[in-house]
Amino acid sequence: MSKPKSAPKPVTKTLPKKHMWTGTRAIAEAVRLADVDVIAAYPIRPYTGVMNSLAKMLADGEFTAEMIGADSEHSQFEIAKHASAVGARTFVGSSGVGLAYAAEPIIVTALGQLPVVAVAGCRALDDPGNFGMEWNDVLTFRDHGWLMSWAKDPQEALDMTLVAYRVSEDRRVLLPHFVAVDGAAITHISTPVEPPGKDEVARFLPPYRPQYPLDPAYGPVTKAQHIAPSLIGPELRKVVDNAMAKASEVIEEAWKAYARFVGREYPPFVESKYMEDAEIAIVTMGAYAKDAIHVAEKLREQGVKVGVLRIRYFRPFPTQELVEALKEVRAIGVVDFSYSFGSTGSSSVLFNEVKSTLYDNRSRPLLLDFMFVGGREPSVEHFEQVIKLLQQSAEKTTAEKHVWWPTLRSENL
Amino acid sequence: MSERPLIRSIRDVPSADFYTSGHRTCAGCGAALGYRLLLKAAGPKTVVLGPTGCMYVANGHQFLSSPYAVPWYHTQLGAGGAAGVGTAAAFRILMIKGKRKKEDVNVVVYGGDGGTGDMGFSGLSMAMSYDFKRFLYVLYDNESYANTGIQASSMTPWGASTTFTPSGKIKKIGNPRMKKNVALTIAAHPGVRYVATATLYPPLDFINKARKALEANGPAFIHLLVPCPKGWFVDPKYTVDLSKSALETGLWVSWEYENGEFKLNYRPEPRKHVKEYLRMQKRFEHLTNDQIEEIEKMTANEWDYWKEMDKQKKIILPWTAPPWA
Repeated sequence: MSKPKSAPKPVTKTLPKKHMWTGTRAIAEAVRLADVDVIAAYPIRPYTGVMNSLAKMLADGEFTAEMIGADSEHSQFEIAKHASAVGARTFVGSSGVGLAYAAEPIIVTALGQLPVVAVAGCRALDDPGNFGMEWNDVLTFRDHGWLMSWAKDPQEALDMTLVAYRVSEDRRVLLPHFVAVDGAAITHISTPVEPPGKDEVARFLPPYRPQYPLDPAYGPVTKAQHIAPSLIGPELRKVVDNAMAKASEVIEEAWKAYARFVGREYPPFVESKYMEDAEIAIVTMGAYAKDAIHVAEKLREQGVKVGVLRIRYFRPFPTQELVEALKEVRAIGVVDFSYSFGSTGSSSVLFNEVKSTLYDNRSRPLLLDFMFVGGREPSVEHFEQVIKLLQQSAEKTTAEKHVWWPTLRSENL
Repeated sequence: MSERPLIRSIRDVPSADFYTSGHRTCAGCGAALGYRLLLKAAGPKTVVLGPTGCMYVANGHQFLSSPYAVPWYHTQLGAGGAAGVGTAAAFRILMIKGKRKKEDVNVVVYGGDGGTGDMGFSGLSMAMSYDFKRFLYVLYDNESYANTGIQASSMTPWGASTTFTPSGKIKKIGNPRMKKNVALTIAAHPGVRYVATATLYPPLDFINKARKALEANGPAFIHLLVPCPKGWFVDPKYTVDLSKSALETGLWVSWEYENGEFKLNYRPEPRKHVKEYLRMQKRFEHLTNDQIEEIEKMTANEWDYWKEMDKQKKIILPWTAPPWA
């Protein structure tokens, strides 16, 4: 047999390595890449997968850290706080009632200015038990000095976790950081994820060096001693307020640096889609922004001038960016996965935040609240209905009512 | 035990104090004296964690002076165990990863009976199930929530009058619950290397137990009875006398448990009648002679167990019928 003529060589191209990862697995990768020192874990759905992944990585020797399985979420957040005070980079997380159980340490971590990074797998609060997704578990802590950001997919959850360490540990900030990921929609759904390399992360993320570590090698630091309110009470609150104010510029710097070192770009505070000539807009956060964008894309083809604004940081709240992006819009629908019973208009948390943001605006667009609460998942039809309702309201320059519960069975949109 | 050998005589107690002036505890405060002895024993390479309690509020000063000459950090009322674990975990991993110089650092928690035996019980148990070395939890027991105005905890003795269990016209007895023995529950944690009880008298006993605990190569626990003049309604000059009387009447038992062996450190022989101790304190003043005799009987009964434990070198749960049974 004669030797076959050699075929032309195939063209090879090296593509960046992508993994099919759930959000929890992707966040675990960020924790490994950040070379976290102390991890405090306690199981609760849907965030637990992060800790499962980390435990396996540690068991396989992929990196070195102390991982403590605590007796409760209360202990879990206390462990992270105290390890951080000594000078360790820490990671912690929870969901739903787990966050409620840890309320006390969560609050003191922020008011004590310790740069703990926590993942929150958003989940409806009890009672009754409910695996559905709501934001109220994390938003409970919106007033206490935690930085809060919402990712839209596993890739962004990974990137956000790395950026969270850089922002939190910056000496201008020193505030803890919740990276919120919508339960199931991000925590349990696999999408392609491209993790950055260890060297790139090392260049992006400097080591954590607290100014006054709780360590005898640095002298006798007394921290969080009981105080006389008349002497120093308001000043201590102002320190946290200043840190939060500084966080905005640090966040912007950090995302620029992330693009430079890792090569992936994000708009720091809000992601705008089709907003240039939009007459109506959906404002939301998290994973379902993708659905909103998908529906907006379809309706754009039919000539509907709809845009989507995805808020990435709830704390600090991007007031200027929102005012700027919404100044030409006639009607806004806030797609909100939270509730605030008895609040003004009996509406929801994000809605109230957007409403107070726009109060100082010269033009007052119509503002409608769409509360997707109780964990029932929205569908594409719901988003279509939301946009249609916004369109009608913008035309009539009035709305039949301002607060809607689109997934409620008896609600007739 | 090279760095910190046991102390044989009161003259050899280190003169350096790491719990110093700058606090505003009550005159005759037993818990403050305990703090001072503990930090003398532990020395400068120590981090102290203070759960909320009277040793938090009374040691905080309105002029921001600090009584601590070693690093000290507040932790929440129920978080002593978790704070200790977080701190010890940070030191261990930073040393393993070469992020901090390798050396011995003591991590000491000084938590009260409410913060430890009630609210912090779960976290304490978790802490005692890990393997951190040079980690000592000291439960300072003044037998009430003293900082908030003397409310009963699960470690307030039967019959004591507190603001939550006052002796009244109908309910005469005061506290209806029996005092919980936290040290015995800690001894039930297989990873714990050292468990002991102590009080302020004799002072060397507590100092040396703290030293042993820190050298025990694993988590350690000391239950320290600290008389509280404010909550027990006694003259502040009797604080140490009360410690002594608690031992001599057998109402406080000084023991240690190490390497699976139980040992009594003090045997009151002959044991004095409990009325000597109880009648010193106004919190028991409403008790009738019959009720005091009941306590004497329970104490005598319990001591049969303590002696048996010492003989067998094993822990046996002491049992005595509660007064209401």
